[in-house]
Amino acid sequence: MSVRAHPTRTRSLQYVALAGYLIFLGFPLLWMLSTAFKSSQELADITPRLIPSDPILDNFGDAIDRADLVHAGANSLQVALATTVLVIAMTLPAAYGLVRYKTWLRPVTLSWILIGQVFPVILVAIPLFLILDQFSLTDSLVGLTIVHAVYALPFGLWMLQGYITAIPRDVEEAGAVDGAGRLRILVSIILPLLRPGVVATALFTFIASWNEFFFALVLIQDPDKYTLPRTLVRFVGASDQVQLGPLAAGALLATLPSLVFFLLIQRRLTAGLLSGAVKG
Amino acid sequence: MNVKHLAGVALFACLVASCATSTNESDDTSDSGDSEGPVTLRFNSLAFQEPTIEASKAIVDAWNAEHPDIQVEYVQGSWDSVHDQLVTQLQTGKAPDIIHDESADISGFARQGYLADLSPYLSDEVKDAVPEGVWDAVTVDDKVIAAPTLLQSYMVFANTDLLQQAGVDIPAGETWAWDDFQAAAAKATTDDTYGVAWGLAEPTATVTSLGMNFGATFFDGEGDDADITVGDPELALPARIHEMTYDDQSIDPTSLTLSGSDALPGFLHGKYAMTVQGSYVAQQLVQDAPEDFHWAVLPPLSAESAAQAANPQTLSVPAESPHVEEAAEFIDYFMAAQNLAKVAEGDWLIPASSEASDAVAADTGGDNGWNEILNSGEYLTKAPFQSVTNYPQWDDQIATPALQKYFADEISLDELQAELTDGWADVSGG
Repeated sequence: MSVRAHPTRTRSLQYVALAGYLIFLGFPLLWMLSTAFKSSQELADITPRLIPSDPILDNFGDAIDRADLVHAGANSLQVALATTVLVIAMTLPAAYGLVRYKTWLRPVTLSWILIGQVFPVILVAIPLFLILDQFSLTDSLVGLTIVHAVYALPFGLWMLQGYITAIPRDVEEAGAVDGAGRLRILVSIILPLLRPGVVATALFTFIASWNEFFFALVLIQDPDKYTLPRTLVRFVGASDQVQLGPLAAGALLATLPSLVFFLLIQRRLTAGLLSGAVKG
Repeated sequence: MNVKHLAGVALFACLVASCATSTNESDDTSDSGDSEGPVTLRFNSLAFQEPTIEASKAIVDAWNAEHPDIQVEYVQGSWDSVHDQLVTQLQTGKAPDIIHDESADISGFARQGYLADLSPYLSDEVKDAVPEGVWDAVTVDDKVIAAPTLLQSYMVFANTDLLQQAGVDIPAGETWAWDDFQAAAAKATTDDTYGVAWGLAEPTATVTSLGMNFGATFFDGEGDDADITVGDPELALPARIHEMTYDDQSIDPTSLTLSGSDALPGFLHGKYAMTVQGSYVAQQLVQDAPEDFHWAVLPPLSAESAAQAANPQTLSVPAESPHVEEAAEFIDYFMAAQNLAKVAEGDWLIPASSEASDAVAADTGGDNGWNEILNSGEYLTKAPFQSVTNYPQWDDQIATPALQKYFADEISLDELQAELTDGWADVSGG
């Protein structure tokens, strides 16, 4: 009896801990949702409530009209999707090469990539601006996409490298024994096995680009090319003045596409594809 | 290649093509400064409240209609990011032709030579309408590096019902003595109510500005060549706040850890009889206060004087702009009394020009605290700290944590004095 009770209690505690963690992670989103439906009078209430007492939709209208959210959302989508495609297209072959061809270049390259990540963005902002300006890529979504891709590449490379390392060489050798060439092995064997890694990398890259603010602030001046984070900042004023309702409504709307993107591809984030691929 | 692959390639091609289109559009609209046709100036505006944004856009539209050869493009900027934006834009020569900022921030860029001297271009009407002390706040190395537009002052906002219940007469003079304020706060403090809520999470700006009431200067000298003095006048305001908090117990100690806006809900719900806030808070009270909440803006506080630091919002022109004269001409137009009045009313700020101030008084009838707010404008003047290069670093790293500790009753007044003085030696390399 006690033997059966223990696992049940442990499992219950695990669920409680998991629920607590979910609330911890989800509460800011819930609060943002609640704020988006509150009037400025209710936001000034001394007793904040999670459920708005008199929900309003005005904040959404304000956010959409004043911050031109639809247009900014389209710009963000272009930049984030193009960044994701670029990063995957470049990191996939690079990561495969680094893992499978173990030359002296590998540690040098990986160290160089890591070193590049330690510099704060503000340090490179001005040189980067000047370089992009040489190619007429400032105030341009192409320039912003290139910068986002460059910043996402190291993380993508490290991530995919881990996934490729986990694929046993035996799988490739088995393909070779069956007569498949290098390209065939890559396309028909490695890529399907790498799908969860590619999906995870794409997801992180998309979200990083979607949320990026600093380079969008520095590089983009034309309001027609503002991305979502760049346009939402207009609700923050001087001396800690914030138009909280429209800001929360705008932020909520800006979060939705990345949530939808995640929901669409999260089922591809399945692990265990390699189970049983190699005997013993 | 299957359908999925084709779709992927097509999607990528579309994305690149659409981005490329955006680049071409950018090239078409840019203004080289040498081409034929109208000059186009970019105006990065930081107007915040919707009426101010509308008023600013209306000024731009009116200008564009009257000046077909000099067109101004309105771009909405943000206070939260303007400094980072200007650091890059000014260093790379890509700053907007008309820069909206505030004196405390823009002066640093001016000292590095990034801003044009506007004095040859501004009209006598504009020059005469702004008080000398406010011009001083935008003068660097004898150059007028900006036109001052709007200012804020620190005001006492009162729940008049609570004050009257406590038997405090609502002051009606030109200024209100600190001793009377302290006495009123003590009188209004009950078991359920504190006399004052004062959001001092970031206390340095308040202490250096409002400290001028007691003759505080803090700094002597300009630029990199400045010395600090922390004597009785500089310590008078922190000591007064400490005394009201821990001896009189008329300031809620919790409120000292909040930002100004965080202290407002308690004020609106009768937890505090008074609160010290930036003048712009009147806009929020008009918008959010319950109908049965009766409030007033009290006259500016005064000890030796009612002086406060003038940190005006500013309009500047980059020295590298190919159209300094045209941009300055637009700024002069923007500074016209009726224009400045409309912009000031939306953000509930004090116009820098006396004529605009009169126009606001006429438009508003002086209601909702406008009389007191506009009157406080006459006491705003340049503060010594505004000319000191290392002041922002001293503010962040030394003064703010030291004042926070003092207001939390963790250090004594002598220790505060030592921390402020020794800390200056650290940040200034002295």
